[in-house]
Parts: sequence; C-alpha cells; structure tokens
Amino acid sequence: MSAPDANTRWEESTSSLGDRSAYKKVWERQSRDPDVAALAVAGHTDEAKLDLTARGFIDIVNSTVGLGANDVVLEIGCGIARVGKVMSRECLHWFGADISSGMLGYAAERLKERPNTTLVELATVGLQEFPRDSFDLVYCTIVFMHLLEWDRYKYVEEAFRVLRPGGQCYFDNFPLDSKHGWNVFIEGTRYPLERRPAHISMASTREELSIYLRNAGFVDVKVHDLANELIAATGRKPEA
Amino acid sequence: MNTSTENTQDKLSALQSELEAVKRREAEYRAKMVQEFLDRGERNTYVHTLHEERAALRKRQQESFGDLENLIRKLEAEVERSTALEAELSRIGRSLSWKITAPLRSIAAMLRPSSQPPTMARIMDRMPVEGGVFTYYLHTSPFRIYRDDTFTLRGWAWPQDGRSITAIRINLSGRTFIGRQGLEEPEVIARYGAQPANPKPGFEVTFETPPGRHNLSLEAQIDGGEWLWIVKTSIWCEPKGK
Repeated sequence: MSAPDANTRWEESTSSLGDRSAYKKVWERQSRDPDVAALAVAGHTDEAKLDLTARGFIDIVNSTVGLGANDVVLEIGCGIARVGKVMSRECLHWFGADISSGMLGYAAERLKERPNTTLVELATVGLQEFPRDSFDLVYCTIVFMHLLEWDRYKYVEEAFRVLRPGGQCYFDNFPLDSKHGWNVFIEGTRYPLERRPAHISMASTREELSIYLRNAGFVDVKVHDLANELIAATGRKPEA
Repeated sequence: MNTSTENTQDKLSALQSELEAVKRREAEYRAKMVQEFLDRGERNTYVHTLHEERAALRKRQQESFGDLENLIRKLEAEVERSTALEAELSRIGRSLSWKITAPLRSIAAMLRPSSQPPTMARIMDRMPVEGGVFTYYLHTSPFRIYRDDTFTLRGWAWPQDGRSITAIRINLSGRTFIGRQGLEEPEVIARYGAQPANPKPGFEVTFETPPGRHNLSLEAQIDGGEWLWIVKTSIWCEPKGK
C-alpha cells in the first residue's frame, strides 16, 4: 500500500462537518419569517428595543475603536441591519455584508430611509466581494459564536485586507468565564446530540481572538471585557 | 501681538477645516470606489452561481455513475445466474429420469384445467397502454436506484395534440397508483404560453417501490377516456437501508 493511496482513501473516508459550515443554508432558513429573523440575530422582535441595543453597541464602538463622521464602515454579518440603521446616521457610508439574502431583504426594508447604506450578499465565507484598503472600520458583532474557528479567522484576515492602512477592526464573542457565557454553554449541553442546531453558539477565549488579530497582521491589539459580558478584540492595520 | 496670535489661530482653524474637507473627500472617494467595485462584482456573483450549479451537476453525474456501476454489477450477477440455471435445465432435460417420466407429465398436462382466471395485474401487464406524444418534464427523475418504501414522481405534462389530461397514474408492473394532477406550474405557463386544455399541467404521483426490478410507466388519461403512457422505464428498487 503506497502512502498517496492511503491518503486518498483516508480523505474519502472522512465525514463532512455537516450544516455547521453551511452558513448560507442555515441563515437562509432562519430568515424565512421576519420575526424569526429578528429573533435569530437579536434575540427579540421589538423595533424600539432593536434600536436601543444598536445604540448600546455604537457606544461600545466609540469607547473601543471610535467612530467618526467621515468613516466608511463595513459590518460583517449585518443580518437585518440592527446596528446599521442607527450607525449610518453617524458615519459617512455604512456597508452591511451578510451571507443570507433573506436577512438582507429585511435589512433593505429597514434601511430604505438611509441613502448612505449599501447591502452586499456574500457568496461564501470571506469578503471577496470587497476591494482592499477601503474601510476605516470593519466590525463583526454577535456573529463569531455561530462560526467555526477557521471561518472566524478567515473574516479577521479579510478584514485586514479590506481596511485602509490605519483602519481599525472590532470582533466580539462571549467567553465561557462569564455568567452569561456559561449559561449559553450549559443550554447547549441540553440538546440531544442529533438535534444540536448547526448555528449553536460557541464561545471564544481572549487568547483566541487576540491570536487571530495578531496573526492577521493587526497592531495595537487589545481585548476588552465589555459590560454586556462579551469580550471584544480590536486592532489597527499598520500604516503602509 | 494679539493680532498676530489671532491670525495664526485663524490660519490653523482654516487649515483644520481644509484637512477635514480633504479627509471627507478621500473617504467619499473610497466609498464610491467600493460601490463601483461591487457593481462590477454583480457579474462575478452570477458567475459564482453558475460555478455552484456546475458543481451540483457534477455531483449528480458522479452519483449516477455510481448507480450505473451498481446496476451493471447486478446485471452481471443475473447473467451468471441465468447461465447456471440454463445449464442445470439442460442437464435435467438430458437425464434418464426426465425421459422415463415424460409420459406421466403428458397425462398430468391433459388433466390440468386449461387456464387460471387472470388477475387484474396480469391484465395490465398483458395489455399495456399505447404511448402518446406529450410535452413534459419530470422534476424528480425516475431514472435512479430506489432505496425508500415509496417515491413521489413530480412534473408537468400536456398532450401535444391539445387534448386535456383528466387523470394521472403510475403503472408499476401492473399495479396502478393514481396521482394528483391539475397542479399550478406558473413558470412553465409563462415559458410555453397558455395551455387552454391543461391550464394547470403539474402533477405528482406517489407509488410504492418494493425491492426488485419493475416496469414503471407514467400514464395519463386523455379527455376522461383512453390512457396513454408519457414515459416508460425499467427500475430497480433496493431493499430499504441497503
């Protein structure tokens, strides 16, 4: 038996990760109903509450990386544009990218009064739809928990590519060592193995986020412990 | 002195405003550049869709090759079995005991009733319906190895002579399964134009797929009268779970 033969046979014998990696399929299904879509991305359906939580997130952005009136901003995994609807009033142009066309449909409805916004459907994991050196700020909030680690890093790498030199990034997730994080984790253990949802929330560690950003090339990397029990890693793309 | 400081302050303030304006123009330029990039990307997205479709078709092709290989193996096994049975039959025919008992078999044949009453299934098998000329499409292909207890064939059809389909069925080696017809197919009508006799040309038929080989015939009843087949094929059903 030669080594390449064994390798080939091993590759053929491996099972796929299933729907955990099929982000488009998973999130298109979650977006069939507007209420389900809002629940899936924000945990509630009330418009006033959506705006309020968006406001809370923008305050976090202001206190970590800052947001300027002339900033060109990209949100990775914008969903129904919970944040974009509010943030677009405070920046030059807001771009929202999501893998689900269904979610973007609801986002478009919510952003119809906001001319300085653009929605983009991602074909797959990554930001291949966007040019390099373009954005002042790239952020991704309440998304990493649904992604596999390799895909989390892919978005960090891609954020580095599309940021202008000097531009900043922000990525958050929940950690296990918070009350909220532990509750989410324990909730996950209660699913029967065969009914565990593909998008089940999975935690990050401070080290993990920090390593992603450093390896992608970011400098001034910081990990923030936020008041909402999330952790957020921020970094800056070095000047050319 | 004061005037000089005020002038410097004014100049600084003017420079600051100018810098802000430049920064804004630069940011506007970047936002516009991203927009233009995205506009070009629209075409790339379509190419991406085509690539995905091609990948799905390749996967289907590979699955079909797998099924074909299985069927060829079954055929080879059947040929071997048939050759062995023919050899056995020939050996029996040549044997002394067969020759000795020949008169007894002749007597038994004379005493046996001429024929048994035919079952409905036998009638169906012996009297296959005629083929018709249809425009049709099957959403679920019947050309496959069947692995479940039942299968639902979906599609649309109309006779090319303008008559109407009043019922649809599957004839599986003599067993018939009546389906539902008159289902909406708006995209088909949009593409082919109105079909006055068959405004809703969609259908679906669920039929059982017991293990083994069967003759499958999708048949339509025309204007409440004769049945004509739309498509016929031989199918193979695997035992469940195999």
